[in-house]
Amino acid sequence: MNIVEINALSKEYKVKKKRIRALDNLSLTIQKGEIFGFLGPNGAGKSTTIKILTDQIRATSGSATIFGIQSNKAEARRQIGYLPENPAFYDFMTAREYLSFTGKCFNMPESSLAERTNQVLATLDLLDAANRPLKGFSKGMTQRLGLAQALLHDPDLFIFDEPMSGLDPIGRAMVKKIIKDLKNKGKTVFFSTHITSDVEVVCDRVGILVKGRLVAIDSVEHIMATGIEGYIIQIRGQDNKTEEIKVSNSELNGVIARLLADNVKIERVNPVAHNLEDFFLDTIQAQVPTNESQ
Amino acid sequence: MNRLVLTIILLTAYIAVTLPLSASLKSRPDLVKLGYTPSAEVLKYITADQKLLAAQWNVLKVLFYYGTLLDKWRHNIPVAAEYYNMYRTICVAAKLDPYNIDIYYFAQAAFTWEVGRVKEVNALLEYGMKYRTWDWYLPFFTGFNYGYFLHDYKQAAKYLQRAAELSGQQYLATLAARYYYQSDATEMGIAFLKTMLKQASDARERRMYQLRIQALSAIKYLQDAVRKYIRDNGHPPRDLKSLVSSGYIEKLPRDPYGGHFYVDKNGKVKTTSKLALHGKNSDNPK
Amino acid sequence: MQHFKLIFSATFVAIKRDRLLHALAGASLLLFLLVPVISMFSMRQVQELAITLFLSSLSFTLLIFSILLGVFSIWKDIEKRYIISVLSMPIKRKDYLLGKFAAIALFLMFTVCLMGIIGYGTITFAAHQYQSEIPVSWPNIFTAMLMSGAKYILLAVVALLFSVISTSIFLPIAGTIGIFLAGSATQGLYEYINSGSGAQDISLTGQYIIKALYYLLPNFSAFDYQVYAAYALALPLDTIFYTVCYWLIYTSFLLFCASIIFEKKEFR
Repeated sequence: MNIVEINALSKEYKVKKKRIRALDNLSLTIQKGEIFGFLGPNGAGKSTTIKILTDQIRATSGSATIFGIQSNKAEARRQIGYLPENPAFYDFMTAREYLSFTGKCFNMPESSLAERTNQVLATLDLLDAANRPLKGFSKGMTQRLGLAQALLHDPDLFIFDEPMSGLDPIGRAMVKKIIKDLKNKGKTVFFSTHITSDVEVVCDRVGILVKGRLVAIDSVEHIMATGIEGYIIQIRGQDNKTEEIKVSNSELNGVIARLLADNVKIERVNPVAHNLEDFFLDTIQAQVPTNESQ
Repeated sequence: MNRLVLTIILLTAYIAVTLPLSASLKSRPDLVKLGYTPSAEVLKYITADQKLLAAQWNVLKVLFYYGTLLDKWRHNIPVAAEYYNMYRTICVAAKLDPYNIDIYYFAQAAFTWEVGRVKEVNALLEYGMKYRTWDWYLPFFTGFNYGYFLHDYKQAAKYLQRAAELSGQQYLATLAARYYYQSDATEMGIAFLKTMLKQASDARERRMYQLRIQALSAIKYLQDAVRKYIRDNGHPPRDLKSLVSSGYIEKLPRDPYGGHFYVDKNGKVKTTSKLALHGKNSDNPK
Repeated sequence: MQHFKLIFSATFVAIKRDRLLHALAGASLLLFLLVPVISMFSMRQVQELAITLFLSSLSFTLLIFSILLGVFSIWKDIEKRYIISVLSMPIKRKDYLLGKFAAIALFLMFTVCLMGIIGYGTITFAAHQYQSEIPVSWPNIFTAMLMSGAKYILLAVVALLFSVISTSIFLPIAGTIGIFLAGSATQGLYEYINSGSGAQDISLTGQYIIKALYYLLPNFSAFDYQVYAAYALALPLDTIFYTVCYWLIYTSFLLFCASIIFEKKEFR
């Protein structure tokens, strides 16, 4: 079953009597257990898509289902763990109180709620701040609480809108680890970002959105594989100096065999990749002239 | 250490300034003003559910203003009273809250004696009677006004009878009966004021009645002496001082409203002050 | 029901922890303590004035609370983007709106009760200072208090409706105050145009406008029982019955409109 199914989704805003097409005929499916990265420059329509999925705004045309339920139904949100972009939470509550509020909204039984609350607080390193009012929380702490409240009820689908923003390197590493753990547990994660390296590390598939249109969708593995232009082989020579040898894709096996025969010590073989960022930039670049010619 | 010094300096300076400031403010000539009151129609719509408060506010404003006037008069400082403005303000209050007894009390106390606007006051009292159907004061005032000021004894008796029925107090009925026979209005006035004084608790109200009783008693005292003088000599005295010189009275009483008593050609004791008797020789502005 | 209760209790906690409301509650408490003192200024109706002042202070306090809570409780959630976190949970928007309303209504009634206890003390004290010929009628005072509470709950719903319609803060505040003043005046104007002089003074179009406003706007003056309380007049039971029915229907209708508009709202 498709966890998320987006069908010809369009969204138009009216800004000062001008119609602005924020989302143009987007179709997309996400399978169970998939980590899907939604990549695109600012204002591409990533947040618009996510807001339609969580029923904050309504599509002009098209539809979206989550677990087969229309996304504008409250019932559809029962299995989503959602982290909004730059989240804000009732600041008169403490972290623990807010998590309790969240848990009850998802009908979590009282018995497991307290234990689960401590678990997520520990995961996000918020135990020390658990009983402090959210008023005093820093941006990074609020972001982490946002992840905590998304994880709390252990849903099958996670939708994260820019989960890394506002976080320090430690926080980013934390989020990457969380997403990997979710993958290992067979959860589905749909997240938006404009940072390609995040996608490269954690995603299975990536969709690139430019000016409201999905311009590319592919598995990360495939992108990375097609992008390899050659390899750099690092060897330690006779005088104990390291040397680097550039080889093309086709030469690789032959060169390695030769080196091994010569008893040369191979220290490292690195692919010279046309990385995701280049792919992303190329895709956008390719998109610009066609958009302008319209 | 520095903070302590600074605190002490500021505190000392504060005291040093405050004391002379308050002393000098005391001697500042104060303007006694009632101020403008918007019309009842306007107030009715903008006060929403605070009509009663707006009514009472207007009443209190007039009460304070009048209290200041009384004080001035008592100290012989002549201040012109804004009677028309006062009356208007009171009427505005009555439109906002027709049940407010302070309105009728004040109208009775302030606009009959000095100003002689007895008919207007009676109309206001009639208006109040439509609402305060249980209240015996309103017919009591109206009856008194008819008898004492307007010399309409029939109307007076009618209203006093109604007051007697509402209050169950017999002496009101007796008072009603006496109106048919007695014409010594000054004595009636004193009796009325003494009744009011007995029931008054508010200090300003008591002062108002005491002042008026004092004035009326002085007039009655002088009038009695004049009457005796006429009986003995066959003609009224040339002036009131001659009552003292010929031993009818020990000394001339003071008019608590700051005027001078005098006797007219017909032997009637009058005063130059605001205390207008019988609603006739009043000097109201409008 | 679960979600309604959750939003209700969260809103109530928010109100309870709001510093501004604490300050306002303190100020109004001072107002109540002044009641017996100011009452002494009356010549002959200390007790009646105490009742009037008490109900006036209550009314004023409720006015401030209802506008603040009605306007800000949803507006603030939208402005500070709390609503995104809340509504992305499986909460129906209708439950959110009704939960907010219920918390505000309960808080206003809670204020009425608390002030009622204080009022009982101050009025009793003032009544002892000067014996009025009118007895203190507690049923009348309680009726006036409850009616006041009902009125300001209705006003809070007006504010809620405005805050759901508008994205700026200016319209809800100005609109609510405007509706309050207009809704308090329509009864008087309606009676005026139906009186002899009013029918002559005001043009026919003016009369139609006034009539339209009279039936359209909430009739706040219907909830004013201050005169009955201060002067212990006999309560018109049939009018009270109709007023309560009117309140129920009008409040439900406004909530219904607000929920339809809120359902369509987009949070960008």
